[in-house]
Amino acid sequence: MSKQPADGPKTSGISTESARRPALLEVRGLRVEFATEGGAVQAVDGVSFELGAGEVLAIVGESGSGKSVTAQTILGLTRSHNATIEGSVRLRGQELVDASEAELQKVRGGEVAMVFQDPMTSLNPVYRVGHQIVEAIRAHRRMSDAEARALAIEMLGAVEIPDSERRVDNYPHEFSGGMRQRAMIAMALALEPTVLIADEPTTALDVTIQAQILALLARLNRERNLATILITHDLGVVAEVADRILVMHEGRIVERGSLDEIFYAPKDSYTRRLLGAVVRLDQPPPPKPTSTTGDGPIPSNISTESARRPALLEVRGLVKRFPVRGGLFQRTRGETTAVDEVSLTVARGETLGLVGESGSGKSTLCRAILGLIEPDSGSIRFEGREIAGLPQRRMRPIRGDIQMVFQDPYSSLNPRKRVGQIVGASLRSQDSLADGPKTSGIPTVSARRREGEAPRRQVGELLERVGLSAAHYDRYPHELSGGQRQRVGIARALAVEPRLIVADEPVSALDVTIRAQILDLLAELQDDFDLSYVFVAHDIGVVRHVSDRIAVMHEGKIVEEGPTGGVCERPSHPYTRSLLDAVPIPDPREARARRAIRS
Amino acid sequence: MAPFVVRRLAGMIAVLFAISVIVFLIFNVIPNSDPAQRMAGKNATPQLIANITEEWGFDEPLPEQYLKTMELIFTGELVSYSSRLDVDEEIRKGLPATASLCIGAAVIWMFFGILFGYLSAMRAGRLTDRVLTALALAGISMPVFLLASVFLYYLTFRVELFPSSGYVPLTENPLDWAYHLILPWTTLAVLFVGFYSRVLRSNMLEAMNEDYVRTARAKGLDERRVMTRHVLRNSLIPIVTLFGLDFAAVIGGGAIITESIFSLGGVGQYAADSISNLDLPPIMAVTLFGAFFVVLFNTVVDIVYAYLDPRIRLEGGRQ
Amino acid sequence: MTSRGPAGGRGPPRIALRRLRSNRPALAALGLFVAIVVFVLAAPLWAREVAETGPNATHTVEKIEVDGERRDVVTPDGTPIGPVWLGAGGKFFLGADGRLGRDEMVRLMYGGRTSLLIGITAALLTTVLAVVLGLVAGYYRGWRDSVISRSLDVIWAFPVVLLGIALGTALAVGGLELGPISISSGSIWIPILIIGFVYTPYMARPIRGEVLALREREFVEAAVARGAGPLGVMFGELLPNLWSTIIVFFTLAVANNMLLEAALSFLGAGVQPPSSSWGTMVSSGFELIYSAPLLAIAPGVLILLTVLALNVFGDGLRDALDPRSKVRLQFEAHTGTYEPEEEVA
Repeated sequence: MSKQPADGPKTSGISTESARRPALLEVRGLRVEFATEGGAVQAVDGVSFELGAGEVLAIVGESGSGKSVTAQTILGLTRSHNATIEGSVRLRGQELVDASEAELQKVRGGEVAMVFQDPMTSLNPVYRVGHQIVEAIRAHRRMSDAEARALAIEMLGAVEIPDSERRVDNYPHEFSGGMRQRAMIAMALALEPTVLIADEPTTALDVTIQAQILALLARLNRERNLATILITHDLGVVAEVADRILVMHEGRIVERGSLDEIFYAPKDSYTRRLLGAVVRLDQPPPPKPTSTTGDGPIPSNISTESARRPALLEVRGLVKRFPVRGGLFQRTRGETTAVDEVSLTVARGETLGLVGESGSGKSTLCRAILGLIEPDSGSIRFEGREIAGLPQRRMRPIRGDIQMVFQDPYSSLNPRKRVGQIVGASLRSQDSLADGPKTSGIPTVSARRREGEAPRRQVGELLERVGLSAAHYDRYPHELSGGQRQRVGIARALAVEPRLIVADEPVSALDVTIRAQILDLLAELQDDFDLSYVFVAHDIGVVRHVSDRIAVMHEGKIVEEGPTGGVCERPSHPYTRSLLDAVPIPDPREARARRAIRS
Repeated sequence: MAPFVVRRLAGMIAVLFAISVIVFLIFNVIPNSDPAQRMAGKNATPQLIANITEEWGFDEPLPEQYLKTMELIFTGELVSYSSRLDVDEEIRKGLPATASLCIGAAVIWMFFGILFGYLSAMRAGRLTDRVLTALALAGISMPVFLLASVFLYYLTFRVELFPSSGYVPLTENPLDWAYHLILPWTTLAVLFVGFYSRVLRSNMLEAMNEDYVRTARAKGLDERRVMTRHVLRNSLIPIVTLFGLDFAAVIGGGAIITESIFSLGGVGQYAADSISNLDLPPIMAVTLFGAFFVVLFNTVVDIVYAYLDPRIRLEGGRQ
Repeated sequence: MTSRGPAGGRGPPRIALRRLRSNRPALAALGLFVAIVVFVLAAPLWAREVAETGPNATHTVEKIEVDGERRDVVTPDGTPIGPVWLGAGGKFFLGADGRLGRDEMVRLMYGGRTSLLIGITAALLTTVLAVVLGLVAGYYRGWRDSVISRSLDVIWAFPVVLLGIALGTALAVGGLELGPISISSGSIWIPILIIGFVYTPYMARPIRGEVLALREREFVEAAVARGAGPLGVMFGELLPNLWSTIIVFFTLAVANNMLLEAALSFLGAGVQPPSSSWGTMVSSGFELIYSAPLLAIAPGVLILLTVLALNVFGDGLRDALDPRSKVRLQFEAHTGTYEPEEEVA
């Protein structure tokens, strides 16, 4: 997929390069405003761009940037009585913004097709997949049922769904996530549209599946000269498939250019921040800051260092099975082994990264370590003491030593409590948990606590320590952003002065720029308070960035473990290799090189 | 599918047993008066009370009492001592009227409930919706006897538009049958129309915001198809379940007041009359059979539903 | 969406109140309900000052002066006087209630006290039972859930009216004696207990469902992780999130309970003489439906107004407490987000 060289530095106006090709889609001055309970929201604020035939245009932005609204407005999907839409969207000269519903219906699916983010909810669960594809076909073409069905089967084959003759009669819930997305793509392509809009098509999928879907989209673009608008927040994805990029922020396009221009010569500060925040897998992680033990910077590939340090947490042969409940009434049909003889070690002051995709058992493992789930067999030793299978009452002292930071900033804080109450509750529980003065941890806070200082002040200090302000004490979770909520979760975990924090996907639900901030925060805190982390994520790039050692988990087992550098540069297990291969590299030249090697 | 049916039936039998125990407890154990006297009702002579004590086993331990009571009920030998009528017989006589009332009302309320709910959802926020919602609210707030008394007074007395009482069997004269039932049907249906239209409206509004509806629009389907094939279809599923419950409950005893006010001579009226006489055996039987019917009917509905819902039929959806 | 300034703290209750204040039908409904409560509370006042009679005092052979004319309260052939309005200074405002010649207006007011009292108290009983059962069943799962759910299912299988009738008639004769509790058959507590008990599954099951969903949320895990015990989690973390549901259900429960009480009393299985409620008044008024329709219709209308007010207000409460208003949903559906601005610290 060779691209024409850039014509020189690009300004933020329309690229002259695309002026040479007839524009398939022209968007001019698009504005979309929603009237909501909290006031008017300008979701899209003057967006203009063009899409040429056969090219892949990526629209990159974080949540709230307006990228999805823009895409949906092209097809008129945002029309409603509380939306005000201005500007122009022309498809081959035909104006769409004020087109009638009937005219738009012809365009939708027939000329411009759209694929959405969550394939699980985007298909109607009560109709068969084939039926839904046929429905799309027959809305635009006169075909008999049999002909439409044959076409549907053909399309399912084109998107590499095996056994398409049989699967065409399956229901959506009988497909896996990746398959469902392929089926959505098949449905979108059935009418041979000229434009495909893909709104975060891989965000809800595992890394390995994501790579496959992206490859599929790239192939379809090549083979059918299908102009594609790819909407995403993930710059790595963009580098693999896009020709041109638009960067959106707060409803406006802040920068536009070719792939190379954006990645190698970004002009706007926001673009640069976005690029800077992306964690790159192929570059060595930055050296960690000096630890309080004064050992100097720790190189990422030395294991002897951690071998010297005493083991804080030792897991041996841990097993946890869950009954599989069949259908309607909880009859145990069998068992699935979520955690299958897992062993790992975490030393004082180190970070163990745990990588696994969905279904790998990493969440179950985390909860077992925290004592939230009782394992079926195996041992968990914390500071030499056995804690696996302890009754809840005996677990209480341990609660002050091991804490957890959760993934979902929206569900990890009680919506009915103020920030101060949430963190304060943890602070108060520390009294009943502590066995006596702690030797390490957060000296300043506990010292003052013994002096009987007001909890509000202490909570305030904790909040400031995690990058919030003491005044956030009175706020409710819904008044905070995702990143701020995550900081509250971290403050809550710190309040009990733990030795070990298990962080279960702490940044996966956050925007890229915020991710970097939280990761930095975690690193700082580790340094200041001599914390150890178990850092869990599905993104091996993120894990690599923060961990001293990495363990790779797949279907309940640890398939590979070792120092970060070693595992990432010289993986021994095929699954690890496939994980590393699947990670999209946010560097066009590297991506091209890698593709050249593969083909 | 088969193991599911078996398990469901087994569960049903357990519930039926529990119901019979509860009815037994309610009538024979919990109240604080002499059970034989209670059962005898009015005109109780000491001899009668003694007979009853023997027949029902009131001087024996509870489990034996339970067995005797159940035997009486299920072998059709239950008798009302004050009216001296065979309870089973009376119930059977009343069934056609009750069934006619309930089935007719059910058809009406489902038709109008779905229609109004659909219209409300389609024109949400506008005048049609506001009016329909107001009517629905009035409908669900209306006590049955109020509507019935208003109908009786204005439509059968002031203006003699409809007959005020009586039931004509369908087989005798279909037109007359319907004529006598129009007011009772309307009375009974009003409450449910209001309820169902609100439920459907709410389900549809929620469904309209689902992702798969967005996909349907993005495919280029016309609005009508989107609304009927996707929004309405998915919104009706919970309504069907609800209907199963309500219909069974109405036949099982909810129609009591309507029947008595319009003197339809059905099972409900039989129960109502027994109440005013504090004649317990009929009430006991009606309660037991009513609850039984609810459980049986709903079990059948569940099984049919499971068969229809693809997710359940294919054993919980394997990936 | 702009984030609030540091002096923030607009919690869910404040937001809900604000939404409720702008919902005019709901406020009107609340006003109507309050008016009805005032109406029934004013019963002794009216009885003493205006009507100068009690709810059970009979005036079979009396005459009163209406607009200068002397008329029988009850004619010799048994027809009671119709609505007099203010013709006799407020006495027999709505007429007499039948052969016994009691003041209908006074009876309406006193009867209303009974109806409202039963409705509200039974609803309180239902709510307390439902919350406790729902929390225990939903949080602990396991055998506690099985026992509770199965029991609720069995009660729920009975048609509400039938169960009420069964209990009502069985207990009407001799009252209730269950261990230490002993209640006489004429007591108002019988219908209260019956109605409260009968409706428990209808509230307990949805609450259990919500508890089941809530306990999967991560903040519950976080509470366990900091050492909170079961009671701490149930009452400290789960219950605060249930209040919206509980309040709305309570309002609707009062409405439904009043309807059930009216139905039971109408049939004779609810409030027993000598007490009276709106339901019993409809029943006795029915005898004269053709000659004095007002007697049967007036109490029914009052029930309708009260229940309607509660339902409309309950609707308004639900809209106010559950922030999934349609407009916002559309916005969320289109953008997939709803967040205050990111504050880069």
